[in-house]
Amino acid sequence: MESLDPRVNRLNMKGFEGDLTRKVPLDQFGTFEVFVQMKEGKPYQHEGIVHAPNNEMAFVFAKEQFSRRMTCTGIFVVETRNVFVTQFTEGEDTVYNYVPDEFPQQGEKEQYEFFHLMKRGKQHEHVGAVEAKNPQEALALAKPAFINEKPVFNVWVIKTKDILFTSEEDKIIWDTLPEKKFREASDYKAGDKLKAFKENKAAQNQEK
Amino acid sequence: MNETALKELLYKVADDQLIIGHRNSEWTGMGPLLEEDIAFSSMAQDKVGQSQALYQLLHELGEKQPDTIAFTRNADQFHNCQLVELPNGEYDFSLIRHFLFDTAEAIRFDMLTTSSYTPLAQLAKKIQGELRYHTMHANTWIKQLGSATEESISRLQSSLDKALPYALGIFEPSPYEQELIAEGIFAGEEALKAKWTEKVTEVLSQTRLEIGDLSAIDPKFGGRQGKHTEHLQPLLDEMSEVFRIDPAAEW
Amino acid sequence: MYGGGNTFESVKFEGLENEDPQKLAEFEARIERGEKIEPHDWMPQLYRKQLIRMIEQHAHSEIIGALPEGTWITRAPGFKRKLALMAKVQDEVGHAQLLYSAAETLGKSREQMIDDLIEGKSKYSNIFNYPAFTWADSCFISWLVDAGAIVNQMANARGSYGPYCRALERICAEESFHLKYGHHCVIHMATGTPKQRQMMQEAIDRWWGPMMHFFGPPDKVSVHTEVLMRWKVKMASNDDCRNQFLDMYVPKIWELGLTIPDPNLRKNPETKKWEYTEPDWDEFKRVINGDGPCNKERLAVRRVAEERGKWVRQALLRPKTEYVTPLA
Repeated sequence: MESLDPRVNRLNMKGFEGDLTRKVPLDQFGTFEVFVQMKEGKPYQHEGIVHAPNNEMAFVFAKEQFSRRMTCTGIFVVETRNVFVTQFTEGEDTVYNYVPDEFPQQGEKEQYEFFHLMKRGKQHEHVGAVEAKNPQEALALAKPAFINEKPVFNVWVIKTKDILFTSEEDKIIWDTLPEKKFREASDYKAGDKLKAFKENKAAQNQEK
Repeated sequence: MNETALKELLYKVADDQLIIGHRNSEWTGMGPLLEEDIAFSSMAQDKVGQSQALYQLLHELGEKQPDTIAFTRNADQFHNCQLVELPNGEYDFSLIRHFLFDTAEAIRFDMLTTSSYTPLAQLAKKIQGELRYHTMHANTWIKQLGSATEESISRLQSSLDKALPYALGIFEPSPYEQELIAEGIFAGEEALKAKWTEKVTEVLSQTRLEIGDLSAIDPKFGGRQGKHTEHLQPLLDEMSEVFRIDPAAEW
Repeated sequence: MYGGGNTFESVKFEGLENEDPQKLAEFEARIERGEKIEPHDWMPQLYRKQLIRMIEQHAHSEIIGALPEGTWITRAPGFKRKLALMAKVQDEVGHAQLLYSAAETLGKSREQMIDDLIEGKSKYSNIFNYPAFTWADSCFISWLVDAGAIVNQMANARGSYGPYCRALERICAEESFHLKYGHHCVIHMATGTPKQRQMMQEAIDRWWGPMMHFFGPPDKVSVHTEVLMRWKVKMASNDDCRNQFLDMYVPKIWELGLTIPDPNLRKNPETKKWEYTEPDWDEFKRVINGDGPCNKERLAVRRVAEERGKWVRQALLRPKTEYVTPLA
């Protein structure tokens, strides 16, 4: 089979035509949730997932899949399994109404990060962190601060040490992002060329 | 300032970036994992963009337009090291080359941030973040695959053994080493090689890969003088196939 | 990039009578109110099944869609085109990643979806089974195939499934670059040298047929499609999408002095609808069932890519972990 794509001809496809072995579970790895901060001072917002074997690789992948346009000042990644998810509420009903004041006592004091869903159909945003022995206690501790505020429809609670943050010295990796103009529609203006062509054609038609 | 020496430096660095970027872009759409496909493509774009910026510096020194320089020269007019022109092979070779080359590239541009030729120093400073990501990507992969399974370790080891003589070819001395060093344009290939050896050894020491005795390896020189493997001319023919239909046309 | 077409055929309409009527009513009321359905919400089996099928086909179309244009990735003329084409093909891979992720929230793993693609069990947009002979073909694809995809995707972005809509919002934003880039290329070709102009015209002549197929055959109106439209899974009819595309782009092709190989193509001033020679739907069926010029190559390339990458993935596999469905 001769391809029009020289890359395909170099693939040396012989030997790959045989039976396909179906993929084993996790051949594509597990998933990591990705949070992006677009500007200093703005909250980190959930943007999607990457498949990766571990935190470090997830960070490397997330950087190009979720911040290769516009601006970015930092990324968090965390394995999906490490996200503690509350129930969902609707309307004017905040999820903090359902956070019990009683919580388990086991566990060491650790820091937990909070992500709130403020509008159905939108994404979770980072709001802060508390120290607690477990996620349930963390929620109970956060409850007084939020129960009388705008309704929160869902909360993700994540142990701070499960998250891979961007280190300060690595933040330069986004420095040239605003200069990648070739990825933007605004870099492809050809109106003048089109106009000149049409005027030229109109002039030719008149001569005839 | 010794302009001949400066141009020779700019040409070889620009040619390196263009050819490695071109080679790496061949993986786009065919990578081992969707996420890695995307990451590898971004770095290829960065490198091609960097080559364009370097050709632009040459243009400002009186050389032709970047497109003309990149798309109309023949292999014997290219000054890239032979490492970057080798075919991609399997992903182990592409990753090892990426690691060996990008480590050198990042150190070279770091050295160039203090170049006495200001436009080059400015460019080098600007792209530090891009190169930080490239080496982060390379080191993460090499550390992980280099200590994972028997297969991944033996694949990377054999690619490393194959690539090392070519990697040492990166540091082929320029005929103008003394002038570049004396004028503070670039601190020289020997200094670069020393730093590179230290860094590469440091990363590999965290894996089960063996770098061996570099002084026992015969470096593949020639690229810097326009002597190339049989792989470069076909690469250039392919890259310029459309451009050469009509080099004066706007595509 | 994604076309309409075969997505909704051949799934049996069954099981709705087994759904809990109260839950079903709440589900439909939510959609009626214009709210999105999220992964944790109750949903009818038919909804889940159809969405998985649709989003998965869309994802496959992106990853396979990277190949026809990829044909020219190493040959793009000049830095501007070289960088743009690399970024564009990369975006298609990125779109596949986003869409597979959205489908995963419905409970099908990426392993299964990729397997189904390379085993030929799953469909993707038919147009990518055609070859890109010259640089001008890649220009046609970047501009017009993406334009067609945007028509579909803008419609689907108003659908009811939250994760799919969010993926489409991101995708549509990136597609605006594709569209402008493609148009920029075609303008340069059409207003360039006689040779460039000829290349562009030949590309249009080759791709017009597949482009008309792109939106799929006229929809058969059935109870099934009515339900899917009520649930905001199917958002617009194939003919409406085709008509919208013709309305937006035929004038832009004509203004470049290029011709379209259909003597019957015209806008009816009374109905305001476009009239055209009916595309060859037998060819469409043949190609979508595997007998197109590039079907074998496209799947073979995907298969080789997966097989060659296997050792990389196997090396870093953590077999003791369990798969968890992504959250949103």
